[in-house]
Amino acid sequence: MAHVIRSICIVGGGTAGWLTAGIIAARHGSEDGNGIRITLIESDTIGTVGVGEGTWPTMRTTLKKMGVSETDFFRECNTSFKQGAKFARWVTGDPADFYYHPLVLPEGFPSLDLASAWMEYAEKRQDAPSFSNAVSYQEAVCELGLAPKLITSPEYAGIANYAYHLDAGRFVSFVRDHCVNRLGVHLVVDDVTRVIRNEAGDIAYLETRKSGQLDGDLFIDCSGFRSLLLGETMGVPFVDCSDVLFIDRALAVQVPYDAEDSDIVPHTVSTAQKHGWIWDIGLQSRRGVGYVYSSRHTTADAALGELQAYVGEEHRSLQPREIKIHAGHRRTFWKGNCVAVGLAGGFLEPLEASALVLIELSAEMISGMLPATRETMDIIAKRFNATTQYRWDRIIDFLKLHYILSKREDSRFWIDNRDPASIPDSLKDQIELWRHRAPGDQDFTSNAEMFPAASYQYVLFGMGFRMDTSDREPKGHAGAVEQAFARNESLKIKWTKTLPNNRNLINKIKEFGLQKI
Amino acid sequence: MHLVELSRAEHSGLKIDPDLAEASAARQHLIPVVASEFRKAAIQYPIVFAKHPETGRFGAYVLNGLEPEENLFWTGMKMDVAYVPLNIRRRPFFVGMADSPSGANDNVLCIDIDSSCITASGQKSIVDADGSDSPYLKEILSIVRRLVDGQKHTDSFINTALSLDLLCPIVLDIVLEDGKPLHVEGLYSIDEDRFRALDKESIEILWNEGLMDLIYSVIISTGQIFNLVRLRNERASLNRAWRGNDN
Repeated sequence: MAHVIRSICIVGGGTAGWLTAGIIAARHGSEDGNGIRITLIESDTIGTVGVGEGTWPTMRTTLKKMGVSETDFFRECNTSFKQGAKFARWVTGDPADFYYHPLVLPEGFPSLDLASAWMEYAEKRQDAPSFSNAVSYQEAVCELGLAPKLITSPEYAGIANYAYHLDAGRFVSFVRDHCVNRLGVHLVVDDVTRVIRNEAGDIAYLETRKSGQLDGDLFIDCSGFRSLLLGETMGVPFVDCSDVLFIDRALAVQVPYDAEDSDIVPHTVSTAQKHGWIWDIGLQSRRGVGYVYSSRHTTADAALGELQAYVGEEHRSLQPREIKIHAGHRRTFWKGNCVAVGLAGGFLEPLEASALVLIELSAEMISGMLPATRETMDIIAKRFNATTQYRWDRIIDFLKLHYILSKREDSRFWIDNRDPASIPDSLKDQIELWRHRAPGDQDFTSNAEMFPAASYQYVLFGMGFRMDTSDREPKGHAGAVEQAFARNESLKIKWTKTLPNNRNLINKIKEFGLQKI
Repeated sequence: MHLVELSRAEHSGLKIDPDLAEASAARQHLIPVVASEFRKAAIQYPIVFAKHPETGRFGAYVLNGLEPEENLFWTGMKMDVAYVPLNIRRRPFFVGMADSPSGANDNVLCIDIDSSCITASGQKSIVDADGSDSPYLKEILSIVRRLVDGQKHTDSFINTALSLDLLCPIVLDIVLEDGKPLHVEGLYSIDEDRFRALDKESIEILWNEGLMDLIYSVIISTGQIFNLVRLRNERASLNRAWRGNDN
């Protein structure tokens, strides 16, 4: 007789555990008990890592599908808007060196290729606008500290595409409350003492300190770096990626604002340093700042000095928290009846905020493909592994892209990062193609793509990558291209005039709320 | 506009012409209304809901035009309508909560001393010769009271409608007779399909709170949009004729 999947047991109550529980419960749970029973075991002795504070725009759909109100999310999670990232001092290291990776796609993308037209123009004119400024209005909106929507915009709807900055600790409690009170997820507060496998190698049940045995048809490992189920129990080895991505330490600190009404920067600022880079994320009540660096290239003391120089003399007394990072992931992500989500599956430096989005995508995929029986689970596991591996590879490529385009020479960290031996072949191949034409959808043909070709355009041309299109036939759509540039200019005027100050809008959302429609 | 708190002593000498109040709505396409007006308003205007630009909160309005600053009922002399909303008739008097987003100064009667209704040829004063409130002021006070009381009822109607997911955006894609396309956004109405699909418990809530009449008034009033389109077409052809004569 078929072994029907009726219950899911999630181990670990961090962001990964609760988001996964929420995503699956919103689709498969039910109040009448006919759905899948979802249990989450959370330790009250093990803390969470809690530095995942930047999301992708996907989080809007994720929260909406879970039935969360965006107004509540702003009120309870210290939430603010994120309209992409500003990369400072990545190219030359000069104080004036910066570029944007906005979330709004280039005007007319993907049917129009503004990148080639911009490059042609930029090569002739010294005063040409930056690529992102020429093709999108969002850089201008960000530079003015404006929000991506209006108080009259419905929940989750934006004028400019947006994601969030959030307080990871508060976010976990917020999602936990929603899962337990609204989505019927069963919470067990306890520690797992032993994981028991059956003769087929599957996880049979968990032994706990106080709550006896916990069983399940599918176990989801959200235990963090420890990877209790997938790594320790199922023995899936870790694939180290530190030969490509050198960052292995983070020093994180919370920086208060000067005043209660200080502006909230509406994008992530990533500022390159001598041996890594510093993230700077503006929440409502504080900034989250952290230096991620390579311990093979510098010492903890030197890194601390750079971080202190960044946050300024007045914040010298703040004590940063050190987090060890192991760049890499498990060889497979789903084995037997166990699948890992979040840090238990792997971790990469937060340069493109890939941690939370990978949790969402993995949980969404588990939820969407949830096998009906144990017998069909291995088929699903195979697909899940292929897709997830592809996603990790694309993220690694994209992160590495930022390093290989840098022209910084001020340390071995930057020079070593451009060593061809450290660059994945898949990325080398793409770069070769892009020497002659702009990244386009033809370069990204999987339905599991992480970054649109537009993201590659923003980074490549933001970082001064040279593309020679003289050997190619002119496209013959010059009129449409000119119109698109003009349209972007008028959108820039319109939205910089209309959109409100970022903090003002957040204050209004907290006071009046956003409407659902 | 310059609002000051009304003082019977200080403002006793003001001469007011209430007929000029309607002129202040000449360029207003949305006029706020309260629930107690819905039935009368429905015979003339589409009743719609729109968000306050400063708070995003919904209010109830009658629609006078198909574009911002357009009032198709304004003839140049008066509003050619069977029912003039209380929010026009109260002018040049104001109550904090009716127009301000904060509502901080509610229940304070104010007067706009810049209003064109205040004119030497005005026949109305706020106090009679003996210093008592004039019938005109009594009428204004009665209108204002109806607005203040009505606002609470209107807000609770909107909140109930929202909690039952009964509001939905109206998308108006109109092609006028002269071929000009008109896309009207930012207006909301009652979602009839959802209303008709409500379960018994929800219907009971609406019934017990006395909101059924309001919902039907809104639904029926929607047809008045055709009248606005008709007026708009007439105005356009008059304009064309005018320009034709002018040339």
